[in-house]
Amino acid sequence: MPRYLTALLAAAVLATLSIAAQGVEISIGDPYARAVPPGQPNSAVFMSLENRSGADQALVAAESGVSEVVELHTHVAEGGMMRMRRIEKIELPAGQSVTLQPGGLHVMLIGLKQPLDVGDVVDVTLIFEGGTRLPVQAPVRRIEMRHMQH
Amino acid sequence: MARKLLITVILILAGLLAWLLFYWDPAAVETGPAGSDHQRLELAAPPAGGDFVLDSTSGPLDLADLRGRVVLIYFGYTWCPDICPTNLVLIANALRMLTPEEQERVQVLFVSVDPERDSTRRVAEYSGYFHPRILGLTGTPERIAEVARLYGAAYRRTELPDSALGYVVDHSAYSYVVDPKGRLVRTLDHATPSAEIAAVIREQLGAASPVRGSAR
Repeated sequence: MPRYLTALLAAAVLATLSIAAQGVEISIGDPYARAVPPGQPNSAVFMSLENRSGADQALVAAESGVSEVVELHTHVAEGGMMRMRRIEKIELPAGQSVTLQPGGLHVMLIGLKQPLDVGDVVDVTLIFEGGTRLPVQAPVRRIEMRHMQH
Repeated sequence: MARKLLITVILILAGLLAWLLFYWDPAAVETGPAGSDHQRLELAAPPAGGDFVLDSTSGPLDLADLRGRVVLIYFGYTWCPDICPTNLVLIANALRMLTPEEQERVQVLFVSVDPERDSTRRVAEYSGYFHPRILGLTGTPERIAEVARLYGAAYRRTELPDSALGYVVDHSAYSYVVDPKGRLVRTLDHATPSAEIAAVIREQLGAASPVRGSAR
């Protein structure tokens, strides 16, 4: 009987811990990686990030085994030119949703170690402020244009 | 008598001219809803387009050889991770909306603004991935700069010391539409929807009313 209780308690503690580990309370919507032409060394991962907590958060880094380097990037339209720049973090204000999409924010995969074909799945680990890590599986898709066609 | 009338007319015209020169202020005239004319005025020197020769995997390509076809020109580079693929996919999808006969009379040119990294082969592989009718072109930095100048495309190599990319090439993301007579007729914005691109191509194909079979 006490053993049973201990197990129950342990299970309860573990469950709490896993929630705490996910504590950023970020929900990821529709993650996908862009299929790229043969020989193309770079690609990007897109998704929506919803901060369901009451506190501001930020995505500060990402890791993946498919490329040498993973960086956070954005695009700025300036003087008629599209400028892509690396950014330190992607702010996720409390209660809000931020979308990483073509032409804007993205997780950039630089120096691909393998071709990204439709049907593949890219494992990406998102790292948030405070060090929380969140694994995401992003299926490889040929870019969908529904974001662009209003 | 007739001479007197003539002199009077001349005087009136001269007076009108003087008034135009010294008093008429076009800016003060109410032009009604500010339309596209205003935007056009803001362009200091609208790009005129024109013929050029650049390198493809199958040798030099001369724009002059593409008379009879509607040509879309897009400037970008193969390392471009997002903006170029976005526009090329939109263009490719527009091509797929056309009939095979229409497609035969369209040529899309992807001009690299990063000749350092883009060989003819590289730019060909990249372009062809999106659609077989997209031809990749590159050339010496000087020739590319000249073509970009003709069409009003802007680009600038920018070092990114904080990124593994090393450098990026900031560039304008317009598509330039050249009609079957070789004239630059339209400039399409970044991320113009496929249906709109297809409509513009059709419009230009229709306007040309070409002789049947003139384009292979």
